[in-house]
Amino acid sequence: MSSWLRTYGTLAGFALMVAFFAWQRPATFLTINNVRNITEQVAILAMVAMTMTVVIVVGDFDLSVGALASLSGVVVADMLIQGMGLWPSLGIALGVGMLAGALNGLLVAYAGLSAFVATLATMTAYRGLSLWYTDGATFFSGIDEAFRPLGQGSTGGVPNSVWMMLAVMIVVWFILEQTTLGRRFYAIGGNAEASFLAGIPVRRLRFVAFVCSGLGAALAGIVLTSRLFSAHPTAGEPLMLNSIAAVFLGMTMFREGEAHVPGTLFGVLILGVLSNGLNILQVNSYIQNVLTGLIIVLAVLVSGLARRRG
Amino acid sequence: MSTNIPTIALAAHNIVKNYPGVRALDNVTLELQRGEVHGLVGENGAGKSTLIKILAGAVRMDGGELSIQGQPVTIHSVHDAQRHGLAFIHQELALVPYFDAAENIFLGHAYPRRPWGAIDRGALRRRAAAILARLGTTLPLDLPVSRLSPGQQTMISIARAFAADAALVVMDEPTAALTDQEIGHLYTVIKALRAAGVTVVYVSHRLQEIFDITDRITVMRNGRVVTTAAATDLDQTKLVALMTGRDSQVAFPATTATLGGPLLTVENLSTSFIQDVSFRLHRGEVLGVAGLVGAGRTELLRALIGATPSRSGQIILHGQTMRTHSPADALQRGMALVPEERRSQGLILRRPIFENITLSHLRDFARGGFLLSRRRELARAQELRQALSLKTANLRQPVGQLSGGNQQKVVFARCLAGEAAGAKLDLLLLDEPTRGVDVGAKMELYQIIRDLAARGVGILLVSSELPELLGLADRVLVLHEGRPVVTLDAKTVDQATLLRYCYGLETN
Repeated sequence: MSSWLRTYGTLAGFALMVAFFAWQRPATFLTINNVRNITEQVAILAMVAMTMTVVIVVGDFDLSVGALASLSGVVVADMLIQGMGLWPSLGIALGVGMLAGALNGLLVAYAGLSAFVATLATMTAYRGLSLWYTDGATFFSGIDEAFRPLGQGSTGGVPNSVWMMLAVMIVVWFILEQTTLGRRFYAIGGNAEASFLAGIPVRRLRFVAFVCSGLGAALAGIVLTSRLFSAHPTAGEPLMLNSIAAVFLGMTMFREGEAHVPGTLFGVLILGVLSNGLNILQVNSYIQNVLTGLIIVLAVLVSGLARRRG
Repeated sequence: MSTNIPTIALAAHNIVKNYPGVRALDNVTLELQRGEVHGLVGENGAGKSTLIKILAGAVRMDGGELSIQGQPVTIHSVHDAQRHGLAFIHQELALVPYFDAAENIFLGHAYPRRPWGAIDRGALRRRAAAILARLGTTLPLDLPVSRLSPGQQTMISIARAFAADAALVVMDEPTAALTDQEIGHLYTVIKALRAAGVTVVYVSHRLQEIFDITDRITVMRNGRVVTTAAATDLDQTKLVALMTGRDSQVAFPATTATLGGPLLTVENLSTSFIQDVSFRLHRGEVLGVAGLVGAGRTELLRALIGATPSRSGQIILHGQTMRTHSPADALQRGMALVPEERRSQGLILRRPIFENITLSHLRDFARGGFLLSRRRELARAQELRQALSLKTANLRQPVGQLSGGNQQKVVFARCLAGEAAGAKLDLLLLDEPTRGVDVGAKMELYQIIRDLAARGVGILLVSSELPELLGLADRVLVLHEGRPVVTLDAKTVDQATLLRYCYGLETN
């Protein structure tokens, strides 16, 4: 029983939560429209959480993703306002994400800073860059209309942002589960010293993981800018804590103590459903934060993740 | 009052400690007198560390009794040990680096306060100076201890034990980092402790020190106490004979390997730890590497595999000079390492067995070198499971669930896994390959090592078990304090001679 609870407790909690909201608000919660709402609401968070999963698999984490998403959003908006055209603007914004991720990777993997210190520092710096770049203002007028469908359009009845989230998820899942690269990521996260002595280029791969995270954050920032059709220098901030929370919730599921894509997906859905359901129940939004915190603690305690050593 | 104090400070009777597959302590009985300096010696793995850990409350004994000054005691935690007046001075000293000496000496005590609550530093330093004066030494009291020398830091640890009224101080290799002058100083302090009625347990690999400072000596071997005798009744030769014993029960498989051509030449290899190590290794040869803990054996293997940078010297494999900068390069050239600490350095414990086996040569089992093929991985793991008689029901089981011997076979399997697809194993570096492994699995590992040599693999074997070294190796290279001392023929040399070289008692 207790091992069942450890493995499936979070999933059962998720099911209970869905059942509770459906019982409370049968007319609104379990409708096609609301499911569509939820997926659209979580799509951007899911992109960041998927690439965050890669960094956490390797045994690090990345605090700079929120600031980096804002920075890429600001950059893509400005390029579009300047008339750079859709594709060059997207390329430049993704390039910013890659470079910023690479800087994180350099600091952690090669300069030997702890992931906490390095990404806390770059988070502050990237936030500063966005604020400086925008002078604290929001970019909204003059953005190329060709940019709108990315975050607001649909293809085949499914929002484009959800399609993109699915693409990111599949790519990350494929890399982690089906390639030598993913296997090595997991090995490093499991035991970096043993991996090094077994001939795995530990530094290079930790670096690569941070580049992935930078790319994911940049993509999320771009989609967010398109959805809002404006770019605010701190728009992406909530993504950082929420993406880490989603991966941690996912680590409480199925496999003991390892981050993985299906888990992260459920983690994102738990956060999304909770926020959506509580909104429908018109629960005070400050209380919602308290409840989210409680749920994370509960999931971690029940899963036994807290007792895992090392 | 003082006449009532028993002369036995601490008595340990019939202490037993079992680890999986190993009896680490087998009915150990030891009585320590008040105000004596008691030497504790034995080879690595003789049980000294386990005994000390039991006294310190870090490990629980499985049987036996402890009493302190005639009163039975149980020590289940570090706190218990402190409460009973036991203090421990380890090689890695537990000081707060940013605090000064006075603050460290009285750490855990109430610091003297000024009326308004601030720490009275003047009073604190005067007290510290008084303690140090009673120990016959002085120290800068106003510097953070991280800026003091290792010797001075050792003094602070001793002063702390003294300030805590410790009745018994255990010193584990206290001189490892000290200069000769500091060692002389340490002796002064130890004598002051003895004069104050404190019992000192002195653990050292340096036999000369044991005779310099101790009153009585206890020799341990294979988890038992061989003897306790007055230091004046022993000499170094007798001590070495007692430490090694004459019995080696384990039979070693006969060698079937014939020496092939030269495989590896190492010339004047130096790192920050080892100096000017040179040797040759032939195909099919097992070269043993002997030495005490800290002699540079592990360091040598790490330098060869590319895990630690070498400062100078050459490594020539297959006639080609290696510019190895990483284990990844070394693996490409057919080298592999079985590291010393299987659990922390060898295995990814929560990942499946087969993943641990294929980890080093993952490309060989992947389509296009990138797409994993679990079918191919499992097939290779299955072959190696049979070849090494790895006992497991399921190769998808996490490797952490296996016994020590089977875990070690997984590490061996990883070294061999590349043979099918290119990176053929030529040179195997083994660091304490049978540590923590039961006797049955040990014999199997010996056979595996022999078989590999017979197939022409060159093997470098580091082991603290002398019978194992002499039983498996063709020649034995002895390291002492980072330098090569001698290369001995394993067929003709006896354990006592080998050990004398290890202790630096004999040189070439």
